[in-house]
Amino acid sequence: MFVLVNGQAYPLPESVTLASLLRSVSPPAPFAVALNEEFVPRGTYEDCLVRPNDRIDIVHPTAGG
Amino acid sequence: METQAIQDELILYGRRFKSRLLLGTARYDSPSLLADAIGVADPALLTVSLRRQLSGSKESGASFWNLLRETKRTLLPNTAGCLTAQEAVKTACIGRELFQTNLVKLEVIGDEVNLQPDPFGLVEAAIELVKLGFQVLPYCTEDWVLCRRLMDAGCEVLMPWAAPIGTGQGPRNVPALRELRQRAPEVPLIIDAGIGLPSQACQVMEWGFDGVLLNTAVSRALDPVRMADAFAQAVRAGRSAFLAGPMTVKDFAVPSTPEIGRPFVSDPSVLLPLVASEH
Repeated sequence: MFVLVNGQAYPLPESVTLASLLRSVSPPAPFAVALNEEFVPRGTYEDCLVRPNDRIDIVHPTAGG
Repeated sequence: METQAIQDELILYGRRFKSRLLLGTARYDSPSLLADAIGVADPALLTVSLRRQLSGSKESGASFWNLLRETKRTLLPNTAGCLTAQEAVKTACIGRELFQTNLVKLEVIGDEVNLQPDPFGLVEAAIELVKLGFQVLPYCTEDWVLCRRLMDAGCEVLMPWAAPIGTGQGPRNVPALRELRQRAPEVPLIIDAGIGLPSQACQVMEWGFDGVLLNTAVSRALDPVRMADAFAQAVRAGRSAFLAGPMTVKDFAVPSTPEIGRPFVSDPSVLLPLVASEH
């Protein structure tokens, strides 16, 4: 199965938790996550299941005005 | 003087700041220029944003995060780029977790040409965000009814634009901005966007606005650090002038040097009407 991580196809052998996916992707800290355009609080990563074709956005602090 | 300075702190949602300048962190040529500008401007808050990781970007990543932390400034995450209330609320929630703050600079853009705030989306998002416990600083226009709706929604601070973002035009609708100041005397009003020169920042502070948020005017100056210093001085000067209470503007000349006793006057009676008008 594939999911989209920041718009890029990311292969997964099976449905996994968001926590597991993030361990695999290993984004640099700090980051926050949206799944299918919905914010996912950090404390719920272990309970959140990632399904085929899900869209995961991992965002970081950046400059802003 | 020290007592007066303490009493004149900028208070936003109960947080007290000595500085009345808010500084954006975008569009600097290098992180070191940003750091130096922050050091010189001594801003109350730094606006920040969130994006996907961009490889090679100087404006994100671990180094940018470390720079922010080393400044020890209060961070103000924005919802830049959001075109709907729903997008803005989601972005604010992400920003709250990322930056560990309930503060949010709420932006809902209604026109992609001039980046004008969407008044309808702004109010809708503000209502929701206040319910979620956010301390909302909305980037808005000077429209009085919009500002009143935002205050009704629970916004304790308003950030009306001077002109479209990044234009540096200075205040475009002076009468409406000054009317807003008069009609909302107790609400902290931060002029956000469109300021291009320190004189413009000084001007709005003289009118009684509580602070100025700058980004492009500093970051895109030829010498951003020097410009940050110029703006810091201008904001302080404008605030001092406001507190000092400017003189009343008059239609006709009033001599500042006493007329009575002036030598070489052959007929002092010609001055009597002028002397009488001073009483």
